[in-house]
Amino acid sequence: MELDELKAIWTGDDHRLERMLRLNAEVLRQLSVRRSGRSLRPFFGGTILELVLDFAGILLIGSFAADHYAEPAFFVPALLLGAYAIAIFAAVLNQAVALAAIRYDEPVVAIQGRLEALRVRRIQTTLGILLFAPLMWVPLAIVVARGFFGVDLYLVANPGWLAANGLFGLAVIPAAIFVARRFGPHLRESSLGRALADEIAGRSLAAALDDLAAIGRFAADG
Amino acid sequence: MSPVGAQDRFVERLDRHRGILQKISSAYCSEPAGREDLRQEIVVQLLRGYPRFDERMAFSTWMYRVALNVAISYARRRRRTDARVELAEPGLIETLSASPAPPPDERIERILAFVNKLDELNRALMLLYLDDYPHAEIATILGITKSNVATKISRIKDRLKRDVAARPTT
Repeated sequence: MELDELKAIWTGDDHRLERMLRLNAEVLRQLSVRRSGRSLRPFFGGTILELVLDFAGILLIGSFAADHYAEPAFFVPALLLGAYAIAIFAAVLNQAVALAAIRYDEPVVAIQGRLEALRVRRIQTTLGILLFAPLMWVPLAIVVARGFFGVDLYLVANPGWLAANGLFGLAVIPAAIFVARRFGPHLRESSLGRALADEIAGRSLAAALDDLAAIGRFAADG
Repeated sequence: MSPVGAQDRFVERLDRHRGILQKISSAYCSEPAGREDLRQEIVVQLLRGYPRFDERMAFSTWMYRVALNVAISYARRRRRTDARVELAEPGLIETLSASPAPPPDERIERILAFVNKLDELNRALMLLYLDDYPHAEIATILGITKSNVATKISRIKDRLKRDVAARPTT
């Protein structure tokens, strides 16, 4: 069968569809009523909450750092945490703005390329957040103990405990990557667990980069 | 035009081109609930973008752009998450009760089987080609050059020939 024959059959199917199908006006009316909520669903899916919580965290850390600027033992951990929180906030905000600016009525290849590039950035951000999180454990413990409970962790916990936790944080990173690579593909029952494992193991990033490259090849002439 | 008038005009135009919704959802999703979900997602994006619709452009061209962008994103998302959709809601497109149940057209099923073997972007190109869009318009919708459209269609033709040659005769 030639492509032109397929085309004739396909075009002929238009008349068949027109005779048999109709738009359900009631469903269309409901869709138009709730259109804004639904169309922005992927955008608002947790992003706004994440930004609000992150911003609140930045304010708290900033306030703590200002209170302890003359005490390096507390100021430096607060500075590290603050930098981490600001980096997350900036990355999430940047992606949210870029996603909100996507207009589906632009040429397909351009939009798909932008969406895939956004996906690559989102995965890289998630990967960064997850991999740096264990390193933030000790600064977080110091700041929370002091800020919320008035406890000086340097006095309560011995330096060995703090150093061991810091090292544990470092060790968790390669361990998490190993576990995600080894066991992630077996998490068939949990799509969320598998998605997380795929992101830590770098599989999602590799797939997104492959898709981005495929779009580039499609757009290239010849 | 008043918002109500614009809405009526939109519904009228959408109804005239409802076949596009049906074809794209069939080409990008194999299960019925997923197809309905995809159709609704396409219509939501069409509703959202309609106030910006440029009247100098054919409605079907604009609709194809939006629908293909939504369908390709939807298909990628489903491919990654392997998610199943179960819709309890009524369908956006219904079969007329006066009509008999749509008989499965074997030839259309064969076309869809071939189209489904293509990657998402080539599938979009193929749908436009099958709907008899000229190369220039396909290029406008997809955002590639006219010569690129011709090259890719020629490759798809070759692939179809190989596909037919490789199929066992019954």
